[in-house]
Amino acid sequence: MNIDPFLAWVESTALSQWVVGSPSMFAFPGILTLHAIGMGFAVGVSAAIDLRILGVAPNVPLRELRRFLPILWAGFWLNAVSGVLLLIGYPTKALTNPVFYLKLTLIAVAMVLLVRISRQVFATGGPASSSPLDQPISSRLRNLAIASLICWSGAITAGRLLAYTYHRLTQSH
Amino acid sequence: MHDFQIWLVTTIGGRSAIADVMRTAWAWPLAESLHFLGLCLLIGAVGSFDLRLLGVGRRIPIAAMHRFIPWGLLGFAINIATGTLFILTEPDQYIYNPSFHFKLLFMTIGGLNAATFYLTSYRRIFGPDAPLDAPRRAKVIAAISLCAWIGVITGGRLLTFYRPSACEGQQTSLLLTCAP
Repeated sequence: MNIDPFLAWVESTALSQWVVGSPSMFAFPGILTLHAIGMGFAVGVSAAIDLRILGVAPNVPLRELRRFLPILWAGFWLNAVSGVLLLIGYPTKALTNPVFYLKLTLIAVAMVLLVRISRQVFATGGPASSSPLDQPISSRLRNLAIASLICWSGAITAGRLLAYTYHRLTQSH
Repeated sequence: MHDFQIWLVTTIGGRSAIADVMRTAWAWPLAESLHFLGLCLLIGAVGSFDLRLLGVGRRIPIAAMHRFIPWGLLGFAINIATGTLFILTEPDQYIYNPSFHFKLLFMTIGGLNAATFYLTSYRRIFGPDAPLDAPRRAKVIAAISLCAWIGVITGGRLLTFYRPSACEGQQTSLLLTCAP
């Protein structure tokens, strides 16, 4: 088996060996747990915004949902950090698996969609009134919301499949 | 309690048509993916409602926010269904797993807590002169709800690190955490 010097170096670092090898529940198990909790809040809030655009909870002033964006971003950054730690733990496992790149792509598209949705419904100077009746929802906005839900579902599925589709666990395997 | 756990594992047995399907290559990962999607719906709806009670998005009427709850219940139903599939296939991996016991405990707390909300706070919050700021009791319930569901996720995510091994010697705990 050929050895990638960069991946071998990452796996030799103390951080990588702590993530993977420490018996502490705060190492690999704790990081995985934070990754699941962050997912719940990031995807959950994003999905709630999408569902509101698609007609769920119609009396919720759409613009006021912007107050939940900090929760969404907190979940996102929690997952960015915990995800990087998991990647440092098992770089070969992730980076040699095409499904990992699919997951990252779907997350990137979902975040671009979120920014575009936010610009349309939360931007200052947009529809100033917070009354739901004053905000007709365009079919373009609905399509963005549907695409967002599809991307998140795909990202979650791809993430779960990482445990089943990897070809090589570490450089020494 | 030990006898009940052993009886449960023996009765379920993991030998059914459902277990056979779950052991095919993609059924288990697919059910897991649905379980994670259900989690997101649950947190997105119930967690957001709890956060609203705690004061996030104060200008959203609480009753309006409550209309997200059926989607949280849908997520919960998806997870009960997929979770049942896991248990029917590998009963010993859950019935003897301390992480699963904690997961059930947190689910029970979350359920009783939600029942308390509807019994004590529902009328005040959804009545004709509903306040925009939730009463203190509802805020406490919302905080407990968030903690309980985060506890459920933690118990679920840690399942794999507390897989039961074969029992050695006398068991003294309330619940069996090993396979006899």
